[in-house]
Amino acid sequence: MVNPVLLIVTPLGLAFIIPLLASVWTRSAKYIPVVGMLFNLIVSLLLLRHALDKPVVVTIGGFPPPFCINLVAGPLGLMLSLLIALVGFAVSIYALGYIRKGATARYHALYLLLLAGATGAVLTGDLFNLFVFYEILCISSYALVAYLGDRDGIEAAVKYLIQGSVGSGLVLIGIAILYGLFGTLNMADIAQHISSVEPLHLFVPLVFLITGFGVEAAVFPLNAWLPDAHASAPSSISAILSGIAIKVGVYAVARVVFTLFDASGLFLFLVLLGLLTLLVAEMSAFSQSNIKRMLAYSSIGQIGLIVFAFGLASPSGISGGLFQLTSHALAKALLFLAAGYMIYRAGSMEISALEGMGKKMPITCFAFTIGVFSLVGMPPFIGFPSKLLIIKAALAQQSVWFTVLIALALAGTVIETVYFFRVVQALYFKEPTVNGQTQQPTGSVHEAPFSAMAPIYGLLILILLLGIYPNLLTGALDSAATELLERAAYITGVLG
Amino acid sequence: MSALYENSYYIASVGLIAVGLYVMVVKKNLIKVLIGLSLFETGINLLFIAVGYLAGGTAPIFSTHSLLPGRMVDPVPQAVVLTAIVIGVAVLALALSLTIRLYEHYGTLNLRKVRDLKW
Repeated sequence: MVNPVLLIVTPLGLAFIIPLLASVWTRSAKYIPVVGMLFNLIVSLLLLRHALDKPVVVTIGGFPPPFCINLVAGPLGLMLSLLIALVGFAVSIYALGYIRKGATARYHALYLLLLAGATGAVLTGDLFNLFVFYEILCISSYALVAYLGDRDGIEAAVKYLIQGSVGSGLVLIGIAILYGLFGTLNMADIAQHISSVEPLHLFVPLVFLITGFGVEAAVFPLNAWLPDAHASAPSSISAILSGIAIKVGVYAVARVVFTLFDASGLFLFLVLLGLLTLLVAEMSAFSQSNIKRMLAYSSIGQIGLIVFAFGLASPSGISGGLFQLTSHALAKALLFLAAGYMIYRAGSMEISALEGMGKKMPITCFAFTIGVFSLVGMPPFIGFPSKLLIIKAALAQQSVWFTVLIALALAGTVIETVYFFRVVQALYFKEPTVNGQTQQPTGSVHEAPFSAMAPIYGLLILILLLGIYPNLLTGALDSAATELLERAAYITGVLG
Repeated sequence: MSALYENSYYIASVGLIAVGLYVMVVKKNLIKVLIGLSLFETGINLLFIAVGYLAGGTAPIFSTHSLLPGRMVDPVPQAVVLTAIVIGVAVLALALSLTIRLYEHYGTLNLRKVRDLKW
């Protein structure tokens, strides 16, 4: 069996090899993330089979838990690391042709660091270690948002950095209080003794941790940084931030609420918070004229839906939330990647500039449209089974309130459908206009290069395949949901 | 009064955190906001150290037989804070380099004037 440590060590090591290699042979730097992510993809797949039987626990330094820093590669962690590797692999191929300007070697090094941080955060079993990996993820994304060095990018990065650092600080306060209460940083150890402390004393660290991780997860009202950062970053980075980085925040919130605190009093709060996030974000997205800002707000909305599903706290609800997490990661990565070259061709991020693009870039626009169909939940794409699972889980609560809440969530999805279809309409059914005059489409068909088409269509095939055969995924998702819900199994799995 | 004295580290750290957050919210100048961020992080580090601190304690090294574990300072918060300080330095360095670029683009560090991006 492969050691899960390799999943973290390989991207981390390769990230620091890149500057050395680039000083000798500059062109090689961009291929290293591809190799690293392919390796992670294979190792995650190999490990997932073992983890479905029993979580793979790795202790570091030769001490038994809770005295060491340990990695817990359970079904949840490995499923997420598989997703990170998959999206990371696709985006690293895309970046081969897309990233041409600036300090490209540094871009690829930071990109690998970001993915190493994300993988580490989902695999670790130690609270402070989670914070460290989370910070690696955050710091590299601050730098990558500012990669283009333009006016918007720098402003967005400054905003993101200030809000993100306050969030990380709050996480650290929460960890300090927990350490003061329990004298340990091991998550399984804290979870085991959580009931021995008065609930009121637990409330304070819980609030700090959720607020802190909530900044990265972009739950309302902590998401002011996200539309700016996602819209101003290079499109490949937008895809990773939307597909991966905010999911790590959601994972951390879920881990804290379910495994660490078993905070059953908070579930209804999560449901309402998710719904509020969904509705506010979808309404904000509706009024955007910039396509990347629209996609960014739509990401916040989808996060709201995921948090909503987690708040249901039933096996089917969490499994539906994880399904939604996967489907959103694939579809939104596809949308940002396809939009990247559409924007490049149009020379503007305004939706009005994309009118008639369906004739100029038919293959790219087709992929974009499929991504839209999947995101709004149309069969036979992956968005359909994921939303269906969440609706079924909400109705299974057998309560009028949850029926009303899911109806509101569906209303949010309807808004989403409207603004996404407006883009599709602009792509195919509108002629480009200049000063009110309809123009005949000029310019020949000129598609995105192969290095962009390959990942876009790879994601598209996955979206279609998993949409038709959702059973390929549900087995792993169900055991991941069980890992979150059954704390006792997690604790004995780690501490023995 | 003795309770105040015993908890002085906690009081100081909460004070630092509060001052830092206040500065970040109120000040308009980006450099001052970053000073606030730095104060905030220092307050957290002090809080973490205070959790494991023992007045008059020694390092947890069993160098002589007379040392008892009860008289030793908990080393874990110190290791943790060391890491947190390093992370804080990295964030601050990145923030200051972004500040330079921001000034190049806008010609000002006043955050009320830097608002091209809106909801």
